[in-house]
Amino acid sequence: MGMARGQLRIYLGAAPGVGKTFAALEEARRRAGRGTDVVVGFVETHGRAATAALVEGLTVLPRKTVEYRGVEFTEFDLDAALARAPQVVLVDELAHTNVPGSGNEKRWQDVDRLLDAGIDVLSTVNVQHLESLNDVVAQITGVPQQETVPDEVVRRADQVELVDMTPEALRRRMTHGNVYPPEKIDAALSNYFRIGNLTALREIALLWLADKVEEQLAKYRRDQHIEDTWESRERVVVALSGGPEGDTLIRRAARIAVRSGADLRAVYVAGGDGLAGTGSTRHLARQRLLIESLGGTYHQVIGNDIPQAMLDFARGVNATQLVLGASRRGRFAQIFSRGVGTTVTAASGTIDVHLVTHEEVGSGRRRSAAQTALSSRRQVLGYVLALAGMPALTAALLPFRGELSLTSDVLIFLSATLLIALVGGFWPALIAAVGGFTLLDFFFVAPLGTFTIATREHIFALSVFVLMALMVATIVGISARRTVQATQARAEAQTLATLAGSVLRGGDPLRALLQQVREAFQLSSVTLLERGEEGVGPDERNDPGDWHVVASEGEPCGSPGAAETDIPVGDDLSLALCGRTLPAADRRIVEAFAVQAAVALRQERLSAQAAAVRPLADADRMRTALLAAVSHDLRTPLASAKAAVAGLRGSGAVFSETEREELLATADESLDRLGRLVANLLDMSRLQAGVLGSLPVPIWLEEAVPPALDELGEAAAGVGLRIAGDLPAVLADPGLLERILVNVIGNALRFSPPDRPPTVGASAYAGHVELRVVDHGPGVPEDAQERMFTPFQRLGDRDNSTGVGLGLALARGLAEAMGGTLLPEDTPGGGLTMVLTLPEASTGTQE
Amino acid sequence: MLVVDDEPQILRALRINLTAHGYDVQVAADGASALRSAAAAVPDLVVLDLGLPDMDGTEVIGGLRGWTDVPILVLSGRAGSPDKVRALDAGADDYVTKPFDIGELLARVRAVTRRRGTPEESPTVVIGESLVDLAAHTVTRDGKEIRLTPTEWHLLEILLRNPGKLVSQRQLLHDVWGPTYARETNYLRQYLAQLRRKLEADPARPRHLLTEPGMGYRFRP
Repeated sequence: MGMARGQLRIYLGAAPGVGKTFAALEEARRRAGRGTDVVVGFVETHGRAATAALVEGLTVLPRKTVEYRGVEFTEFDLDAALARAPQVVLVDELAHTNVPGSGNEKRWQDVDRLLDAGIDVLSTVNVQHLESLNDVVAQITGVPQQETVPDEVVRRADQVELVDMTPEALRRRMTHGNVYPPEKIDAALSNYFRIGNLTALREIALLWLADKVEEQLAKYRRDQHIEDTWESRERVVVALSGGPEGDTLIRRAARIAVRSGADLRAVYVAGGDGLAGTGSTRHLARQRLLIESLGGTYHQVIGNDIPQAMLDFARGVNATQLVLGASRRGRFAQIFSRGVGTTVTAASGTIDVHLVTHEEVGSGRRRSAAQTALSSRRQVLGYVLALAGMPALTAALLPFRGELSLTSDVLIFLSATLLIALVGGFWPALIAAVGGFTLLDFFFVAPLGTFTIATREHIFALSVFVLMALMVATIVGISARRTVQATQARAEAQTLATLAGSVLRGGDPLRALLQQVREAFQLSSVTLLERGEEGVGPDERNDPGDWHVVASEGEPCGSPGAAETDIPVGDDLSLALCGRTLPAADRRIVEAFAVQAAVALRQERLSAQAAAVRPLADADRMRTALLAAVSHDLRTPLASAKAAVAGLRGSGAVFSETEREELLATADESLDRLGRLVANLLDMSRLQAGVLGSLPVPIWLEEAVPPALDELGEAAAGVGLRIAGDLPAVLADPGLLERILVNVIGNALRFSPPDRPPTVGASAYAGHVELRVVDHGPGVPEDAQERMFTPFQRLGDRDNSTGVGLGLALARGLAEAMGGTLLPEDTPGGGLTMVLTLPEASTGTQE
Repeated sequence: MLVVDDEPQILRALRINLTAHGYDVQVAADGASALRSAAAAVPDLVVLDLGLPDMDGTEVIGGLRGWTDVPILVLSGRAGSPDKVRALDAGADDYVTKPFDIGELLARVRAVTRRRGTPEESPTVVIGESLVDLAAHTVTRDGKEIRLTPTEWHLLEILLRNPGKLVSQRQLLHDVWGPTYARETNYLRQYLAQLRRKLEADPARPRHLLTEPGMGYRFRP
């Protein structure tokens, strides 16, 4: 066809009512406002006023009337649309099946014709109508879809726009009657709109669309020969060197990935000569497990040029972020070759590179390396100055030997020695002092050129010189050591502070602690062990049978004896560290960790204990409440019946006929009430004792509900019944079902305004039958709805003719005993709806 | 009339009430003496409690059913439907659950003692606005004739000939469809629904052709 094909724009929704038609109409209005010739081919407003208002002012094509089996249907008039030939046509519900005899079988075929004719089309479709998703959706919702549209049709659309709404918001819309009028919401429909269903549908819609988006992107990239990555979805690649710091890198990368919802891949570049790379297979195996446990995948590539191989991999998987460990090599080594990190960063292009300084890992090393007071650089400089500087100074001073007095010479030498002491500490200072002494004596003290000293005064001056040099050197040494100690203390304090914080904050402080110890000290595993009850003497510390693992990070060590480092906490706990023997200095911090771990363990156990005790306390409170409520409710009718009967029997009083009648009626009513209460109490206790005899048989709700209404008497005369005769039977015990119905409907009656009696409706879905008892009373706030089902918790205590609030508790218990559920819902437009779900009786019982 | 119950207060109350309504009442406090008493003088009706000190009420029913088809009305404190079904299957004619309304008990007593199979007594029965002529096999409503299928007739007739009495599902299926259809309760439901549509003023809230879910059907005049 020579004419350009029209553009198709589809509004995709996860469920009915999210506002697809609304969005399509808004777009139509927008285009019409720009002067485009837009007509509405077919729109289903579902009686929603807001939608109908949007149609106002747009040109609407008249629908075509088709007669089928004596019934008239209205359909989209394709021929009229083609004849009218506008620029844009809006055709709602792409998946609609046309009534036989109206041309194409499906509406999407009509749309196809429009597009062929060069007309742009705006349309809508619900995700459950997509053919490929039909089964999945039916499984989730229990409602099979007859009307489907091939995925291809939607995929081919030029634009697919998702009309999204959170399940909660959609349900709120439903409750307000914005989607369907209240009387149209039957059980199947409400069932469809469960939060779980809606969430699942929404996810399906999003995933389907994401697929389409990726597909389009891939196509576009292919078409345009684009090699750069396109960030359709975040993807984090972490590069492993095979060293132990990989664990930290992986965890860090996982955190980055989680934050951005990215997926995570780890890559290790092995040498191109086919031999194993420089990495330790032990570390890599562990890191592989770690990344997989964090939801990522592990990859190994071969390449001589590690940075290049790494980048090739990252581009290949469309990575957006690359995590590398900071170089561990010294500055000297970096002069000769750039590190992997630098090379990768320079060539990464659009990929963000994170150079992670594995600080936690490094902290272990840093402490162990810093045992001497002054840095080795300063010491070396000190020795160089002492050995080279003093002769140089001597040589410099020799020409002035005549002009300067010995005092000046000594002072100059002293200054130099002090300088060396300041730079290099004690030993360079000692060398400088002794050397200076010797040089002064030889070159500057008479007799010159010999090591002999003529005058006592000179001996004294030189001694002072040496003494001062050594004193200053000592002070410098001490202060340097202090500085180191202070730094070390600060590091310890910092570690401890982090530790304390994590114990306070974390959800699982014990594990967090162990993990931190493991990372901070580069251990293969950290295990908290506890001695079993039968363990006795401390000599049995090493018997593995006595100890059991309380918590562990990494492969647990079975006993304190098996660990490289073992830190006892009290008599019965021990922190076992495997993988590395800790220097004594680190032990102190680990001891603090161990105590914290013990505290965390105790805390954990206490809260578990508290949780275990809570139900007992609750049960106790409940018993007290039960006693109070039951004794009140049992005594009241008993007292009135007794008073009436005793009065009649008693002598002395004379009653008129009407008085006698009234007293008898009182006794009768009171005893009825007592009877009902006793029956409920008995059922309740039987239910709780688990001895409720239930004999489920197939029962049809349309037969079961009228007797229950009969039992409720005159009050139930107005209850509306909407139970279709073609519903399947439920499997239930007739007696128990009647008790449920009487209680639930009775409850609805009690809270219904007199002019709006409750209605009872039923419908079937997915192997269940739902009975909905809908009242338009005051309703119950959502947070109080579950409380209604607790016995003796009747909401509002004004009305003491309603029993102790056992009714709903009993009804739910009975429903559950028969494999059903009883759940409260808001009635659209106000009130409460009780939904009783019972299993459908299988047809097998009727063979 | 024989009243069997181990509770003296119930026995006394029933004896006074039933005697006051013109029945000749014998009482028995356990199963053995009930069976003895029934053998000595065959009663027209047995009102039987299920929980007896010496034997279960269903055994008493079995003992009686061995030689007599005297109507048995079970009076039970057991509300569970398995007990009711067992008693009905053992041969009881109807049941009343304790605590009971004396008026209801009397109505059930009248229903089960009405002799069965005597259409001459009531050749025409009124169901709401419909008039059923059992002799002529016609149903008219507002002067217009309503057509019933043979199966519908059969069912309706059984129910109408046992006014007030609970007719079990099993019995209806057996009598109308035959012994092999004892489990096809779905048939009953469909036919009863059709009958209600044809005869009842409000088929969804029947006033005359009543269902006892899981048990059977009852015609309430």
